[in-house]
Amino acid sequence: MKFLVVDDSATMRRIVVNSLQRIGFTDTVEAGDGREALDRFDASVSFVITDWNMPNMTGTELAKALRGRGEQVPILMVTARSVREDIIEAMEAGVNNYVVKPFTPQILKEKIDALVAAAAGVGG
Amino acid sequence: MTVVGARHELFYDTETALRMVDGEVRAMTGEGRGGGVTRSGAQQTSLAALPCILERANDEIQAVLGSLRDSRAALEALEAATVEKLQHTSEQLREVTSATEVAATDILDALDRAGNTVDALEAADHAGDKARAQDLRDMLRDEIFGMTGALQFQDITTQQLNYAASVLTDMEGRLLMIAKLFDPAASVVRAALDGPDPRTFDPGATGRDAARRQTAADEVFLAAR
Repeated sequence: MKFLVVDDSATMRRIVVNSLQRIGFTDTVEAGDGREALDRFDASVSFVITDWNMPNMTGTELAKALRGRGEQVPILMVTARSVREDIIEAMEAGVNNYVVKPFTPQILKEKIDALVAAAAGVGG
Repeated sequence: MTVVGARHELFYDTETALRMVDGEVRAMTGEGRGGGVTRSGAQQTSLAALPCILERANDEIQAVLGSLRDSRAALEALEAATVEKLQHTSEQLREVTSATEVAATDILDALDRAGNTVDALEAADHAGDKARAQDLRDMLRDEIFGMTGALQFQDITTQQLNYAASVLTDMEGRLLMIAKLFDPAASVVRAALDGPDPRTFDPGATGRDAARRQTAADEVFLAAR
């Protein structure tokens, strides 16, 4: 599986990529904001992990853009935002699940495993 | 120009307008020149001009009162907005301090444990206990990886500091607006840097209670299924 990791913080991208490697996912590509992510997205990407607050294009705007193109790729939002209204907004934008910062690798793995299973049509 | 200086200028303008009216009235009544029972032609002309003079003075005073009302309203609005924002900013900055300290402590603790694990690993290798050595190597990897997780504070504190910067920029703009109420022609030097892009930070960003916030997020998604 190829993961597109989107965050304007290079530190956070590195943490997410390291976490993915730790749980066995080594094929990753990175982007610094939603607009760059849209440019880098192609058919080989099978999973998107995105921050919310970014310049040029936010994570929810990225999700809307991908869904607007008809992309069904699982989108996991990893963000410090945790107000109920924000979570609902993310869901309505097309985000499939949500990880709150600061996160543990276990939580990230849980959410990824659940979305992968759901995408494969198993349980979930 | 300071607020005190601007206020003095307003009072000076008001006083000047009132003195002008007073001067005209004194000229009409001949005060200081032995009374004015018999009116001269000049005094009659002055009486005829009195309404215009009073009207001008009234316009001047109304303009001054209008400026005072505007500045008072602006100051009240500024105070209300400022108090809340500054309180929140102060809380965010306190959290930045504590978050960096917590992260530093977590990393130092992990380094201590990693060091102890290396010692234990050396002992296990020396004793030829391969199973124990493997367990210790796994523990060491967990400790090292845990340290990178602690660095997540950097992203959250960046957002908190960006929020504080945005509040300062906002306050600067409001103060400039008030200064211009007193002196529209004044040229005030504005800070060269603009505030941070509001899309790049969450004003409520926090690293506290991550487990509770994650549970709340999970509940929203579960309820939607």
